[in-house]
Amino acid sequence: MVPVRYNLRNLRVRWVTTLMTSLFTGLLVCASVLVFGLVDGLMRTFTVSADEQKLIFLRKGSDNETSSDIMRETADKLTNLDGIAIDPATGRPMASAETVTIQTKPRRGDTLSVNLIIRGLSESGRSLRPAFRIVQGRELRSGTNEAITSPSIAARFQNCGLGETLDINGTPFQIVGLFEASGSTAESEVWVDSNQLALARRSRAESCSVVIAQAANRAARDAIVERIKSDDDEFKDLEVKDEKQYFESQIAVIATIRKIGYGLAVFLSIGAMFGAANTMYSAVASRSREIGTMRALGFSRRSILASFLFESVVLCLIGGVLGCMATLPLNGLSSGTQNPMMFSEVTFAFHFGPRVLLQGVMLATIMGLVGGLAPAVRAVRLTIIQALRER
Amino acid sequence: MKSLKYIFRNATRNKLRSVLTVLSVAISLAMMTVLYGFATLNDQLIPELAKANRLIVMSRDGFASMIPISVLDHVRGLEGVEAAVPLAWYIGQYKDEKMPTFASLATDAKELFHVWTEFRMPAEQLTAWRENRTGCIVDRRNADRRGWKIGDRIPLKGNNYPIDLDLTICGIYDGPEFINDLYFHWTYLDERLRAINDLKAGTTSILFVRADSAESMNRVLPAIDDRYESSDHPTTSQSHQDFARNFSKFVGNLQVYVRNIGAAVVFALVLVAGNAMAMSMRERTTEIALLKAIGFQRGPVLAMVLGESMLISLVGGTLGVATGRVTWSTVHYFWPQFVPVDWVAPQILLLGVGVAAGIGLVSGIGPAVRAAGLSVIAGLRRVA
Repeated sequence: MVPVRYNLRNLRVRWVTTLMTSLFTGLLVCASVLVFGLVDGLMRTFTVSADEQKLIFLRKGSDNETSSDIMRETADKLTNLDGIAIDPATGRPMASAETVTIQTKPRRGDTLSVNLIIRGLSESGRSLRPAFRIVQGRELRSGTNEAITSPSIAARFQNCGLGETLDINGTPFQIVGLFEASGSTAESEVWVDSNQLALARRSRAESCSVVIAQAANRAARDAIVERIKSDDDEFKDLEVKDEKQYFESQIAVIATIRKIGYGLAVFLSIGAMFGAANTMYSAVASRSREIGTMRALGFSRRSILASFLFESVVLCLIGGVLGCMATLPLNGLSSGTQNPMMFSEVTFAFHFGPRVLLQGVMLATIMGLVGGLAPAVRAVRLTIIQALRER
Repeated sequence: MKSLKYIFRNATRNKLRSVLTVLSVAISLAMMTVLYGFATLNDQLIPELAKANRLIVMSRDGFASMIPISVLDHVRGLEGVEAAVPLAWYIGQYKDEKMPTFASLATDAKELFHVWTEFRMPAEQLTAWRENRTGCIVDRRNADRRGWKIGDRIPLKGNNYPIDLDLTICGIYDGPEFINDLYFHWTYLDERLRAINDLKAGTTSILFVRADSAESMNRVLPAIDDRYESSDHPTTSQSHQDFARNFSKFVGNLQVYVRNIGAAVVFALVLVAGNAMAMSMRERTTEIALLKAIGFQRGPVLAMVLGESMLISLVGGTLGVATGRVTWSTVHYFWPQFVPVDWVAPQILLLGVGVAAGIGLVSGIGPAVRAAGLSVIAGLRRVA
């Protein structure tokens, strides 16, 4: 084997080329990792809570909460179905009839408005969210025009900060608290008391949008699902999905974004491979005599091939690691985009976990291997005489 | 002319290196063309939309909410309104497709062509559509791609509405490139909704209105919203271009990300091309010294090196933009849900070529300045 130090010294001697090559592979790896981290963060928002025993009742044919409508009396029956878990703290069923509406509200620093989800729910809705807790201010008092929202919505939308007043259908609601819920989709919403929202909306008091319920166990879940499916009387207009199924339909669009992201990474890597190949070709060309000498000394073709491939991989890996490190300051940075299913704001946090970083490093390795292959083959195909004769 | 030939010869001397650089630039710019075209698609349409004096009336709760159809009569009665139609987002899935790949909208057949004045369709097809309760019309490009003919049945699965439809194509219209909608009768949708007592009966998602002039637009917009301000269903009215601008927001910060990625890619390409150029120059040190020894001034030497790097980048850029444009059409053909229209704004294509020229210029500066400043003695002495 050719000593590793030979390659490392070569990289150091040609440091300008090395630096430029690692920088551009690094930049392209960085861009790819950013996209992976974005998609991963967005995915986590939807999958952090994907409980198969949490059931979502919607009107048949509507694929999201905003387009669903359930009559109030049906909702009351649903929240009292057999098999729904009982909250040990209150002794009431863990089921919540909720009204979801979309309001167009301006983002901070922007005059144009985007859709923001307003959810009217009662106390029991809190226990259905993962690790719901108030982090600032206080919980809203039911029966008043008070609202709570997440810190990220508070930061992103006008009139949504703590103490500010948000107009909902002409009725002012004061933001009294900020909550967190494990980064789930709940953190993209403004919550108010369900009755107050019905009052503000005037026309739709007789119905709600959706019922969410926690089944006591797996068997109870299956029984409820079966009941809704087979019932052709009181629940005939309803459809039930568990949370995992519900989010899967929402994620379909994000899966598309993910595919685009991967496609992008592939394209960028191919571009980077050509660049790396250029550098390695030039390295091989300027070292013909060295290669000839090594061959004359008895190094096998295979070990010289391995040596050049190694050099190419190191070259790209320097960039890859730099690129991955450059994304780390953005880890956890909260951002927002539109949920394409509901056309409403969804906030998420960039997530550069081990998997995403590993993908970045793998990408760099592949760039090095593929980019370095042809130059390395050229290096070993020279005969000793040819190689030594070159100047 | 001679120097052009010299530049060309130099660029093609190390063919492998130039080809690799060209490919590197081309593939990255092809991708950026597609990505940028996608992220700014809506913005590119805005100036087009602004020409037609059209406006959109929707619920103040956002365009996913409904407004009563009675608003339509009021709007039609306003002075300055030429025509108005309801548009209800039925947006069903075609056959077994997993998500909608084209918009299916319920509207008013009598006035649709007075609002969309760009639409062209034979008069007999229009009459046939008006007379067929379950009839629909489709965009020509959409029809050609799917092989639809007049008389074909279009089964659609409801997404926003709890009903499935089985429509019949009565006409094929030619419209602007960014439209691929299917239109059917609002009255038919409403009839079906009434039959099942649905809450959405008697409502529409938006009204699509054409005013007779830009001045009328400014009068009509507040007139509508004022009228419904204190009703149960306050409205928000905005021009078609503002609506589209708002719609761009629905891709959220996508544009920002694309722009940042684009900047990183361009910078990376400068490094790729610059590195290749620097390698070439190092190999030609003696030659450049010779050129200077026989009397070439700094200027021509500088220009020759810059010319070479520009040539390589521009070839890569042009190839890339062309590939990007073809890729766009290909994606549109196979996955219309990603790329709804077969149209990339010319500005974006020009931008791609411009960026390539910029990459050539910036990446060539370092090597060019070094070559121009090379001392003859030092260059000739170096026998590499």
